[in-house]
Amino acid sequence: MKFKINRDHFSVGLQQVLNVVGSKATMPILSNVLIEASEGHISLSTTNLDMGIRCRIKAEIKDPGAITLPVRRLATIVRELPSSDVALNTDSNHQTKIASGGSTFKIMGIGQEEFPSLPAFTDERSFVMRQKDLIRMLKNVSYAQSSDETRYILNGVYFSFQEDKLNLVATDGRRLALIGKELEFPPEHAGNIIIPAKTVTELLRLLDKGQDVKVAFNERQVAFEIGTDGESEGLADSIYLVSKIVEGNYPNYEQVIPKEVHQRIKIDRELLLQCVHRAALVTSDKSNTVRLKVADNHLEITASSPDFGESHETLAVEYDGPEVQVAFNPQFMMDPLKALSQDEVYLEIKDELSPGVFKTLDNFICVIMPLRLN
Amino acid sequence: MRTIIHIDMDCFYAAIETRDRPDLHGKPVGVGGSRDRRGVLTTCNYDARKFGVRSAMPTFVALQKCPQLVVVPTRFEVYRRESLEIRRIFQEYSSLIEPLSLDEAYLDVSGNDLGGWEIASRIRAEIISRTGLTASAGIGPNKLLAKIASDWEKPNGQFEVKEEEIVAFMEPLPVRRIWGVGPVAAERLEKLGITTCGELQRRGVADLVKLFGRFGWELYEMARGIDRRAVEPSRPRKSLSTERTFSADLKELWQCREELEHLFGELLADLKARNEGRPIGRLFLKLTFSDFSKTSVERAGRAPSLSAYETLLAEGFRRGGKAVRLIGIGVRFSEAVAEQLELPLGEKDLG
Repeated sequence: MKFKINRDHFSVGLQQVLNVVGSKATMPILSNVLIEASEGHISLSTTNLDMGIRCRIKAEIKDPGAITLPVRRLATIVRELPSSDVALNTDSNHQTKIASGGSTFKIMGIGQEEFPSLPAFTDERSFVMRQKDLIRMLKNVSYAQSSDETRYILNGVYFSFQEDKLNLVATDGRRLALIGKELEFPPEHAGNIIIPAKTVTELLRLLDKGQDVKVAFNERQVAFEIGTDGESEGLADSIYLVSKIVEGNYPNYEQVIPKEVHQRIKIDRELLLQCVHRAALVTSDKSNTVRLKVADNHLEITASSPDFGESHETLAVEYDGPEVQVAFNPQFMMDPLKALSQDEVYLEIKDELSPGVFKTLDNFICVIMPLRLN
Repeated sequence: MRTIIHIDMDCFYAAIETRDRPDLHGKPVGVGGSRDRRGVLTTCNYDARKFGVRSAMPTFVALQKCPQLVVVPTRFEVYRRESLEIRRIFQEYSSLIEPLSLDEAYLDVSGNDLGGWEIASRIRAEIISRTGLTASAGIGPNKLLAKIASDWEKPNGQFEVKEEEIVAFMEPLPVRRIWGVGPVAAERLEKLGITTCGELQRRGVADLVKLFGRFGWELYEMARGIDRRAVEPSRPRKSLSTERTFSADLKELWQCREELEHLFGELLADLKARNEGRPIGRLFLKLTFSDFSKTSVERAGRAPSLSAYETLLAEGFRRGGKAVRLIGIGVRFSEAVAEQLELPLGEKDLG
């Protein structure tokens, strides 16, 4: 295999794939990137067996072929090469020579035949949507995923394609975030999957490269084809991310979303975020609580910790209902407020033992269970 | 200059049992699990100790050493009631009280004109008159010295370490008497030719830090009788645990599992007896292996379950890869002052 490539393009390509590596101890080849050269492009693939990524970069191919090289080390070397022209040449013993300007590296590779190929599955169910929509929706809910391994079903984001709508849901059992969006697809494509948290993290990193993303899934796996319009960065076509899904039934989340509306307060999102953030400055691990009291066109937010002191914030709101008090983990309030971009949010609260609900005008709901003060 | 008193009840549980059952007077008595359930003694009285019976000893071993040993079951409610009564006596002399367990506490009596010696004797006399039980006391300028001193005239006695006597007092003490020096540290010290605090005193601080890390610094100070820890008034306990050291190391996982079941029963009983009703945040399990190396595993959990501890045990056992000398299991209470309510998702069956 022999090709010439632009250093920065090569580096950008390696940056896309280098997070998805397996442990070196169990399978050394999983810490390598598979480089395949053919017809004006190289493709770069990595996998940790749970997830795999492939991207394509423009290159001047002299001899087609393939090799695998340690991806982290290779990425560091390529980034530091002295000239923007890079030539890569692999001999029959998998030794790979990288030349750029006055520097030359010889790196030992492993033959591509040992590299586990990324599954390419027929698109049983596929959907096309805007990347900016998917990234926004993921940001709106992903903070609510559980990291408790004993609740593995909740260690991901639930995608539900039903009735011309995509709903994304995440919950850790204490709060639940839901965002919906209209999406057209044939009825037979309807279905639900749970995307693992690590895959969500990768997606958030990879998305926003171009216009559209195609999502396809079957019973065990999901694939994202992330379109790129990165001519300048050298990325060609699309980035392909394939991942296992979390197998199992997601809990019936609809039952925990309060049906009735009690007291609804319209609040400036930024202002509320700042108030909760400031109020929480006095909290500690032991008393990680802010108290909300709404009455008489005022929302008061207070917090205290026995070792430190107390804080008190007041916001003017339109509210003439009965006085309501409730306590929340401040992080649970700040997470959705940070993730949203709307100017205004609606907060619905009922009493000290009922969940608080954040809503926006466009299909966003975040249910937060309160703290019962001991 | 502080004045700290360490009060240590003499064979507390066993003393209560013999007090309440006159027929046991003068007989060797052990408190704890019976022989047929592979029980272990929680404690025993001095008559039993003469035969080599010790606390934490398997009951059947204790009975081999002392066939006439009377084994009675534990009555934690009674012990707790007595303990509260004793704590009331402490409160008459100080508001800085740090209970270590039902039968032990530190008191900071600095600045009290009566002086440490007089306060300790009054407290001990008061304990006898109100409960019929005897206590030993240690008086010193810090917790370390007070604790060592309370052992000096045990049972039913008291001893004071005065400021000017500290270095000489520490000199002949075996290193094991220092707080935090267990069998492993003691063995490492012995390999360096250090068996007494005096020998430890002659080592430079840099040497000790190199050998023991941060603990080396503590060793350096404690060997000189220096201890800066404050008496911290009764904070709520952070965890509750029960553990057992085995007379023969357990080589197989299934043997550990069997013991785990007994421990689990004890833990549940203990939790119930204390009936504190506090929310539980985490479950933990610790293992000590045949070479005294230790490991501990824990996970989030709101209620103790045998299957959760079995998972932790398998993990800890795999990690050690050696025969097991001690198993301990316990719960950590949630420290949050407020209880986070859960969404009714109905996925509990997933564990």
